[in-house]
Amino acid sequence: MEIFFLALLFGLMIWALTSGYPVAYALPGSAIISVGLAALTGYVFAGDPSAYFAQDGPSQWLSAGVTNFRSLYWVVERDTLIAIPLFIFMGIMLQRSKIAEDLLVAMAQLFGPLPGGLGISVVFVGALLAATTGIVGATVIAMGLISLPAMLRNNYSKSLACGTICASGTLGQIIPPSIVLIILADQLSNAADQANTMRKALYKETTGEFSMPAQFDVVSASAGDMFMGAFIPGLILVGLYMLYIFVYAWRKPEAAPAVPYDGEYDKHFFLNILLALVPPLSLIFIVLGSIILGVATVNQAGAIGAIGAMVMAGYRLHQGNRVTTYIPVFLALAAIAFIGYLSHTYDLNIRNIKSDEQLFGVKLAIGSVVVLLLSVIWSGWRVFKVDDTLKQVMTDTAKMTSMVFIILLGAAMLTSAFRGFGGEELVKSFLTTLPGGFWTQFVVVMLVIFLLGFFLDFIEIAVVVVPIVAPILLSNPEANVTAVWLGVMIGLNIQTSFLTPPFGFALFYLRGVADKVVKTMDIYKGASAFILLQLVGLLIVGLNPSLVNYLPNRTYLLSETAPPPLNPKLQSCLEDYVVGQYAENEDNIHSEINKAEKFEISYLPKKLQTKFRESTSEANNALKYIENINKVKKQLDKYTVDYQPLQQTVSTLNTNIRRTATLIKVTEKEMSEVSPDNIESLTEHKDKIQHLKNEKATLEKSIPSEWESQNKEYKKLALILKNARRQYYHAVDSSYEALTELEQIIADGDALANLESELKTLDKAIVDENAKDAIIKIKAVGSSLSKIKGTTSIKSKLNKARRVLKKDKTDEAKDKAMAFMRDAHKAYQTEIKWRAKASKELLADLKHYDTSISKTIGLRLQSRLTDIQAKSVASCLSVHRNISLSF
Amino acid sequence: MNAATDTLSDRPLSNNPPSASLYLARLFAGVLVATILLYLASRFLIYWHNWPSLSASIQSFSGGVSNLEDAQKLKGVLLVLGYTGTLLLIAFLIKRQPNRSLGNDAETYKKLSYYIVRASFWAVFLIGFTDAVISFLRVEDLLIPLVGQELADKLGQPISRGILVHYPLLAASFVIAWFSKSLGFIWLALLVVIAEFTIVLTSFIFSYEQAFMGDLVRFWYSAFFLFASAYSLIESGHVRVDILYARISNRNKAWVNVFGSLLLGLPVCWTILHYGIGSAQSSLMAPILSFEVSPTGYGMYIKYLMAALLIVYAVSMAIIFVSYFLSSCAYLFKEPGAELPAGGEH
Repeated sequence: MEIFFLALLFGLMIWALTSGYPVAYALPGSAIISVGLAALTGYVFAGDPSAYFAQDGPSQWLSAGVTNFRSLYWVVERDTLIAIPLFIFMGIMLQRSKIAEDLLVAMAQLFGPLPGGLGISVVFVGALLAATTGIVGATVIAMGLISLPAMLRNNYSKSLACGTICASGTLGQIIPPSIVLIILADQLSNAADQANTMRKALYKETTGEFSMPAQFDVVSASAGDMFMGAFIPGLILVGLYMLYIFVYAWRKPEAAPAVPYDGEYDKHFFLNILLALVPPLSLIFIVLGSIILGVATVNQAGAIGAIGAMVMAGYRLHQGNRVTTYIPVFLALAAIAFIGYLSHTYDLNIRNIKSDEQLFGVKLAIGSVVVLLLSVIWSGWRVFKVDDTLKQVMTDTAKMTSMVFIILLGAAMLTSAFRGFGGEELVKSFLTTLPGGFWTQFVVVMLVIFLLGFFLDFIEIAVVVVPIVAPILLSNPEANVTAVWLGVMIGLNIQTSFLTPPFGFALFYLRGVADKVVKTMDIYKGASAFILLQLVGLLIVGLNPSLVNYLPNRTYLLSETAPPPLNPKLQSCLEDYVVGQYAENEDNIHSEINKAEKFEISYLPKKLQTKFRESTSEANNALKYIENINKVKKQLDKYTVDYQPLQQTVSTLNTNIRRTATLIKVTEKEMSEVSPDNIESLTEHKDKIQHLKNEKATLEKSIPSEWESQNKEYKKLALILKNARRQYYHAVDSSYEALTELEQIIADGDALANLESELKTLDKAIVDENAKDAIIKIKAVGSSLSKIKGTTSIKSKLNKARRVLKKDKTDEAKDKAMAFMRDAHKAYQTEIKWRAKASKELLADLKHYDTSISKTIGLRLQSRLTDIQAKSVASCLSVHRNISLSF
Repeated sequence: MNAATDTLSDRPLSNNPPSASLYLARLFAGVLVATILLYLASRFLIYWHNWPSLSASIQSFSGGVSNLEDAQKLKGVLLVLGYTGTLLLIAFLIKRQPNRSLGNDAETYKKLSYYIVRASFWAVFLIGFTDAVISFLRVEDLLIPLVGQELADKLGQPISRGILVHYPLLAASFVIAWFSKSLGFIWLALLVVIAEFTIVLTSFIFSYEQAFMGDLVRFWYSAFFLFASAYSLIESGHVRVDILYARISNRNKAWVNVFGSLLLGLPVCWTILHYGIGSAQSSLMAPILSFEVSPTGYGMYIKYLMAALLIVYAVSMAIIFVSYFLSSCAYLFKEPGAELPAGGEH
């Protein structure tokens, strides 16, 4: 019965959507109606409103829906969405202040003289606008009004001109900052959590182990990640578009002729170009740059963009006195530059002012902020006054924001109802039973999204489809794709929906402003070519996940919060890097270790001598161990070639067996709830259980007989590899730890020497002062000693002296204490002596040895990766790895 | 959509609408709006003044199992009388003014919805600003020297800050909104930008960032998109799938809007109200009654008001749907001067 109501939900949804009532209410409305109908039929026919729900009842699902509404803004985790109104504000401000128009005109003049130049300029401006406004409608309309007439006048092919404009307009969807990417990030971070839970459950079920190692976690996506991930694919699309126009113009010059510029290429011309190009470009650099460099969060970048756009609008809109036009913007720039200088020279942390100098810096900074604010307010006042622009911008922002968010709200109710009718389970079992594993699932999902794109808008697709399918795709260990990659692929796919006739929005917008000479067919024809390019782009990104994953990984690993090399998620990539390093520098490392073995260390304390000897011998071992790892890895890889297909078959079988087992359990539970009088229903249930049991038995039988032995063999090899790694880790870690400890001890020699006088005063204190004061003083020295490495021998003597004093306060005790003090002095002197010598003779050698092995043996214990290492690891992490063998 | 031009072409003007159905439509709309407001009023009496719920009252008269005390019973009678009385009054008032057109009523309800949104905007603006200032003073230990120990302690407790600061401001907002004419809520766009930009300035330059700053952004931003929805519906800001809608006649468009508002729009609002504030444990009522604050400690004390934002949304939308319903009806009844409510554009 749930299936029927699921179908009803879909029927109602399609009916409500096609009726043309606003989507934001069609979605939740149809969900509520179908939940209501299910409750009513359940009440009438089965006496229970929850009868026709997969689990729980109508009121649970409806109140879950309302709670979902609330959760859209209730928790900090969803703050990402705040960036949407900020970027919309920025985009509309730039559009209303005609900065976008200036850009179009200037670029057309610049590129026009090239073959296909006007088309290329449209793509170029489309990309720039995408990075500032990102609003498809605004971009297409602006270009349709300005570029299309120019292109048509110059005998461009109509379809090429229209296609170029539509496609360039849609770039705003994929080139960050883009609203779709933010929404996808929001949906995906939730989906990634779910996927992780699912994968953990799978791991527990298949391996029997309780917790899944961290390196198998599903990689989540923040809005910043999505922006960085989409950056290169966006540029690839721009490149493809430009290439296409260029080739088109080259093959058919009459379809895209060069347009010579009438005016002169003089100072004035280039000044105009600069004036049109530089401000938007700088805004793009600031907004995107701060995100990609990890300086600002996406929301902060959005606020910077919005304020920046307002300042730009302030001078663009200003009429009248030319002298004052640019004052606010120059004031703002000067203030920012001065603040930059101040924060470079002074520590401006306002909560931690320590000196007058710093206070002075802070005061100057406050002054500059005031200047900055004044210039912003001045600009804002102009925008407010001129044609009521500010009010229009705010109104448009309000309309657009609420359009986006109310659909988000509505979809939350729809998802709730969909779950209530067991739809999620249905989709899951449909996808997981598809033959061919992850890639079939993925292609099917992408195809569905592509087809939905013919009818639905990007937001609906993102909020309805993604929460349902993304957890399933992400949790699959076979491809182990990152959420960012999946998001960018879906983003590219959804972007296409703007272009697909008959209902692509970009086409509508262009139709609305295009001349009557342009036939609708021209627009469709032009768009089709770009849809193909879009698919090519999708293919390129699909086959090269590094294009998406590299930038986010790189930023993460280079950031201040980068994980240390010990982090388990980095180990596999770090191993690749280290193996390369060993191969490159093997002789060098060998000779360095040999040299270290011959260091003159006989004057060191015995314990440290042995420790260091052990350290070098472990270092030698490490070289052997890593070779061993390589060997075992090769064996395992060789074995996997035949083993993997078998594993996949069995894994699919096992999934089905587990599903059947759950079904049996569910049916048994249902049967237990049936009243004993209802014999018909009881036998029905019994038959069903028997049938399922038979099915399960057949499945179990169809597991190939060689599976058990092969699985055992694989597990054996995997265990050998695991042990080989453990052996290696132990060797390098203990070896390097001993080395750094020794270095530290020697380096602390100076600090120790400084304690001499303090230590001497203790003698006097013990003799002259009362026991209580003496104890306090001894304690103080003890705590200074604790800050210095390798001082336990001295400290223990001091402690003994202290304990004696504490026990009894006689003179005899004082004598005893003094005896201990003498021992302490002796121990102190030996320490000082050997440390001083070692610091002169040994420390430099040790340091040299340290640096020469820090990229290999010592790598795991470094506090953070060097930039080169981080980049290498980032590119290694960017490739998707099949981890299904571990499941 | 070119609604204005189409109205003239495919719609013969007629001056004698069927008066019975016109009256019914107006009555129906009036009852819909009144029930929403009555529902709100009854929530207020039930949760803040401990009145019995409507269903409990009705049960107690019908001789069912009654566990109400006498005082409660009286309140129950008053409640039921209030409900029926108001509905009768509505019917009477509508009957009294036979010359009012559907369009007039639609306009009145639109104004009512805008008034609610405007008052809420002022509340959100004033409370947000004041509470942020108080939170700042409190976090920087300036509150005690400024207002004294006793008041500072009070302002440190969610309940008394709510009653001392938020409630008076809330009341003031409804007065201000009465006298101001602007839309109001659109300024939240700028306010969100300003609040977030403040975070940028203080955290980048002075390494200063506090929980209350993020709270303020979240408060204003959530109010922004929720309050904007009613206006968006009237100004055709909401997306429609116009595969068919762009091709059908204006009359059919009006029918879509009539049925859509009643079957798709209003149920959403009622679901929010019923499951959000239907009982004291509901997901919106519970935080409001307990003056819930965010767990971060030194943030703003407005989390409970953020739950209330969704109620404002539901109420403003419910009333605007009724207005939308009426203006579509006006078009269907060929009322003079009635235009197809906007739609069809993205």
